[in-house]
Amino acid sequence: MSLPLRLHPVAQQSAQEQYAYMCDLKRTLDATGHCVLEMPSGTGKTVSLLSLIVSYQQFYPTKRKLIYCSRTVPEIEKALSELKRLMDYRKECSETDEEREKEQNFYGIGVTSRKNLCIHPEVSKEKKGKVVDARCRDLTNSAVCTKGRENPGSVELCDWHENLGKLEPGNLIPPGIWTLADVLQYGRDNKICPYFLVRRMMPFVDVIIYSFHYLLDPKVAEQVSKELSKDAIVVFDEAHNIDNVCIESLSIDLTRPMLDSAARSVVKLGDKIEEIKKTDASKLQDEYAKLVEGLQEASSDEDAFVSNPVLPEDLLKEAIPGNIRKAEHFVAFLKRFVEYLKTRMRVLHVVAETPLSFLQHLKDITYIERRPLRFCAERLQSLVRTLELSRIDEFSSLQKVASFATLVATYEKGFLLILEPFETDNATVPNPIFHLTCLDPAIAIKPVFERFSTVVITSGTISPLDMYPKMLQFTPVVQETYSMTLTRNSFLPLVITRGSDQVHISSRFEVRNDPAVVRNFGSILIEYSKIVPDGIVAFFPSYLYMESIVAAWNDMGILNEVWKHKLIFVETPDANETSIALENYRRACDNGRGAVLLSVARGKVSEGIDFDHNYGRAVVMFGVPYQYTESRILKARLEYLRDAYRIRESEFLGFDAMRNAAQCVGRVLRGKTDWGLMVFADKRFARADKRAKLPRWINQYITETASNLSTDMALTVSKQFMRMISQNPNENQTGISLWTLADIEKAQAKQKELALQQEADRRDAAMEVDEDDEYGDGGFDDEALGAINLDV
Amino acid sequence: MPSLVCSAQASYKKLPGLLELTDSHLQWTRTGDNAPVVKFPYSEAASLSRSKVGAEQVRLKIGLVSNEAGHNFTFTSPQAVALAERDKFEAELTGIIARNRAPPVPGPTTAATTPKARLAGTPVPGANGSAAATPLRPPPPLARPSQSRAQSVASDSRASGTPLSDHPTNDFRLRKKVLLSTPELAQLHRELVMGGHITENEFWEGREHLLLAQAAAESQKRGKPGQLVDPRPQAVDGDVKIVITPQLVHDIFEEFPIVAKAYSDNVPEKLSEAEFWSRYFQSKLFNAHRASIRSSAVQHVVKDDPIFDKYLEKDDDELEPRKLREERVDTFIDLGATFVDHEETGNEKDVTMQAGKQRAVLPLIRKFNEHSTRLLDTALGGPSVKRRRLDTDDERYAQIDLEDLHDDESSAGIILDMQNRQRYFDGRANGTGQPGSDEPRVDFREAMQQAKVSTLGWSANLAQLKIEKKAGDSALISMTQNVQSRLDVKQRKHDIPEALFRQMTTCQTAANEFLRQFWLAIYPPANESQQLSVATPAQKAAKASKMIGYLKKTHEKVDALVVEAQREQVDPARVRVAMKPILDAVDKALGFWQTKNVKTPGAR
Repeated sequence: MSLPLRLHPVAQQSAQEQYAYMCDLKRTLDATGHCVLEMPSGTGKTVSLLSLIVSYQQFYPTKRKLIYCSRTVPEIEKALSELKRLMDYRKECSETDEEREKEQNFYGIGVTSRKNLCIHPEVSKEKKGKVVDARCRDLTNSAVCTKGRENPGSVELCDWHENLGKLEPGNLIPPGIWTLADVLQYGRDNKICPYFLVRRMMPFVDVIIYSFHYLLDPKVAEQVSKELSKDAIVVFDEAHNIDNVCIESLSIDLTRPMLDSAARSVVKLGDKIEEIKKTDASKLQDEYAKLVEGLQEASSDEDAFVSNPVLPEDLLKEAIPGNIRKAEHFVAFLKRFVEYLKTRMRVLHVVAETPLSFLQHLKDITYIERRPLRFCAERLQSLVRTLELSRIDEFSSLQKVASFATLVATYEKGFLLILEPFETDNATVPNPIFHLTCLDPAIAIKPVFERFSTVVITSGTISPLDMYPKMLQFTPVVQETYSMTLTRNSFLPLVITRGSDQVHISSRFEVRNDPAVVRNFGSILIEYSKIVPDGIVAFFPSYLYMESIVAAWNDMGILNEVWKHKLIFVETPDANETSIALENYRRACDNGRGAVLLSVARGKVSEGIDFDHNYGRAVVMFGVPYQYTESRILKARLEYLRDAYRIRESEFLGFDAMRNAAQCVGRVLRGKTDWGLMVFADKRFARADKRAKLPRWINQYITETASNLSTDMALTVSKQFMRMISQNPNENQTGISLWTLADIEKAQAKQKELALQQEADRRDAAMEVDEDDEYGDGGFDDEALGAINLDV
Repeated sequence: MPSLVCSAQASYKKLPGLLELTDSHLQWTRTGDNAPVVKFPYSEAASLSRSKVGAEQVRLKIGLVSNEAGHNFTFTSPQAVALAERDKFEAELTGIIARNRAPPVPGPTTAATTPKARLAGTPVPGANGSAAATPLRPPPPLARPSQSRAQSVASDSRASGTPLSDHPTNDFRLRKKVLLSTPELAQLHRELVMGGHITENEFWEGREHLLLAQAAAESQKRGKPGQLVDPRPQAVDGDVKIVITPQLVHDIFEEFPIVAKAYSDNVPEKLSEAEFWSRYFQSKLFNAHRASIRSSAVQHVVKDDPIFDKYLEKDDDELEPRKLREERVDTFIDLGATFVDHEETGNEKDVTMQAGKQRAVLPLIRKFNEHSTRLLDTALGGPSVKRRRLDTDDERYAQIDLEDLHDDESSAGIILDMQNRQRYFDGRANGTGQPGSDEPRVDFREAMQQAKVSTLGWSANLAQLKIEKKAGDSALISMTQNVQSRLDVKQRKHDIPEALFRQMTTCQTAANEFLRQFWLAIYPPANESQQLSVATPAQKAAKASKMIGYLKKTHEKVDALVVEAQREQVDPARVRVAMKPILDAVDKALGFWQTKNVKTPGAR
């Protein structure tokens, strides 16, 4: 079987690992199975992925939809840009008009929240996403719209939404690839709502790009991703933290202020019901009648205020139980439940219990049964709609309580309830938090694997590969890691185990605040800021550590030394503030002044921001980014992993720390002409078992000597490396790491031979290769491409 | 003679002399000398420091713009007189330095004048209404603002032949700097120019790039130092004090505009200069400005101050910053967008991963970010322009581009710049266009055939191939010898006496220089604009013959060295071998000169 593949415009040459990557991807698509692929950062993973899948989509008449998930909005936007560029190229290359038209009719969009897409002059000014959502709903829900259209001027409507409604569904925007910025601009130009535009276009497009949550979080997936067809190709890019996203989407925290707010909301609901009873009692009557009949209320998903937090298959397809059908009964029910939770919060010792024991206790005290509890979220949704409440963001705490109730009553296994009365062990003022924590990432992702025939999990740092199928409970058909072929070592990983004074350095809890360690960490930063040009990024294992060490360095005069050579920027708690710091950091790098960016592994900056070229000539990882092992939630999760999947605690912790460390240092490289230093500063990195958990493409370049250095030795090695790498490479990677078409054909011939030998019964893969003399001219002739057999 | 502002007996580098401040320069003359040894214009003065009050020696140190180490003067008059003299100098220089530092923008910087400068009665920059203090300054040698380096250099050299030679003194200064920074060149210079063999200008001919590089390096404006303004108390005379220097005052005003505001509000109406500062350093405001988290600990020992507390702002230690720029950053780095992309889910992060848990650090972190941004803005001339939307896809593509995947061929070579290129190609085209052109057309098929035939039976041929033994052996032997001799050289000690060796080096470099001059005179100038002075052909010829005269002596010199070597009991052959290449080169030049003169006897 062959596939007319059009390479990406930039990939007039394709890298060797890109080719292998595409072959394996193709294998997965043909076999309609799942796969795990690790491809080094900055080798054009996204491009390879998109160009193969788009070729596949365009070649087959079935047009399987591509659902491409990424972690962060910047990455979504980047992927959209890549796709746009790819399609431009394909249009350029298509030979017949028919083909060109096919390429032109290709749709690709990105989906994100109202907050990011709103252009309503007032609503978009709101700072909080939740408020934007609520205010938008007030202007756009179907009840308001009907009222407004019947009687113009009676209620406020959103003009942008109204204008969109006048357009023909499925044809809201001309075909093409629309990045988020493009959609916003289109919305502004044509005065239509970009958010609803992308939401309503979803069923009609070929590629959807959005974040993990839109597929994994049942609350969102229910609204957004329900109608996606089963044969869609799902890709999770940058999926190294996918297990965490899965767990997060089913976990909920309740605090005392939230319960107070929920209690107020319950009162408000009661008042509203009383009011409605007087004015429009028939409404409640209608609702009751519908609930008796077990009818799902017909309403568009766009209106949904709170959707069910549990997974589709766990939803009960039955009528809501009698004792909460009547609005006032349900309000009383909620009140009782909130009161119960409040009493639980008064306990001054830590409690950990299973959902079953919680339900038992609940029943003993309040006589609340499990079944009505399960319907809590659904019933609340129905009530809110009936009452036509506005500004529902004020009810968000109540929504959380309802979700909590539904989750706790639905799942027995893989969940744990933990009540922590104090924030820290030595705190004296209680600040209780009731955690409902999901321990098993497989629960949330299970429906995705079951529903979609092909799920691709890929990232630059996803080692060890077998961990993911184990944790997520699926069987991949392909599981592969690719090394990085380089004609010169464009990055230098170094492990610094001790300072120049031979004191061992480590972020181990016992020694991390030792002045000698802090000073030695500081001198690494000083020395590197002296010798490295442009940007340096430093990562710390946690916010707490970064904040304390920044203060300590300042008092020790270490930062004063750094100021002499570079500017200093630090990640702050606020995302927007950090973005601005990041922007200035990049300006300083561009300007040549050079800067240091201090940030946190697993933090905001470590995910999704590239520090390529001059934006990061060195990454310093201060310490091993272990999770906080005293955390009760983590402890519970480790226990669960051990019992359910036989993954040892230390194994998981080590794996988790190293994947994050690799993720941090991996951001320094983008492309093979880029170069950078990767400094691992902790003596624990020297241990072979730690390093073995790094992705192969990094690990293979750590030499034995570079795995145990003192600061001064590391500096010598770094200087040498920089002198070497700064020479004009004048290299030609062709044939070694970059493959031209001829090289690919050679490799294919070789593979084909092997395949033929091994499997005689395999479909006859030998396709007639056209005698065509035009190979050498660099352009890709379609026929020639058509003849390439990508099948192994 | 410029008028003298003040003067004092002072020693410099332990030599007694007279320190004088004229209306444009600071100079120091050694006792007995006529010309000053140290002399620099006002505009060079960058910083000032002095010995402590009670110190035995009364010293004054002046840092220069070009030389941070600066000069150290010790006042040698009796202590009381010395102190008075020093104070006078200090007062004057403080004013000068303040002017040098003053940013060219008048207005708010008025407040930035130092209290001391004002006390000393020096004119206040900005206050006199003129645009900064520039008119007071003598025109600085390199201050050519608003002119790009390339432009200024090019126009200069074209106009007068030497870079920057509109200031001959400046040119001289540059040469001196270059010589100082490269000892080898200085050695050669001493040898040839001071020895009278060639003139100064000849020496620099062909070395303009060094001067240009030096000029460029100097004209680069030094950026602001990055350190935070964080005055820390020092122990002076047993008391803990913060020493206020004019520079510090300036920095404080720039870093904390609120202090500048307080200053202009209160001085001198409500508070005197001294009072202002002493109260400021004891106020909560100062503690809020200090770059340390310990400052919050001292908060409660600090007294209330009705004047300064007015200016106090709340600590910026909330999770969200107090003021945030409104516009969004580029989507590719917009972290906030991810934050609101979906509702928050999951359990709270553990204690260590909650950002901003140590609230006391937040103001510090924000201060770092602000300080860096401010430095950047001053360097780039203003805050970042409001980021326009990345309209063109190209800009976005540039960010996602992977350079290494570009086709090699896409890198265009350097286009040959040829006169009448069009005609050249036309001519060629016409030539080949003609039927029956002289180029034989190759029949590829036939050629292929021939090639095939010629390779027939290659294996047999290969088997018959015999390498002649003798040649192979000799090749091997010569290689072995080569390796051996190299090893020999490597192992042999460097045993030529130091003095002789130095002579040899000198002889060699000198001959080299003569050769360079010679060929320079022979060949046409590489680039007009690069030329120091465009010499007439006659001049060139004269120069060449002069150089030949020198070069002819090279043999004698080498012979002398050989004799010397014999006396030193060094194998003279080694000296000969060492000097062989240079002699060869000299002979070549001599030979060239001879044939040239024979060919064109009329030229002489």
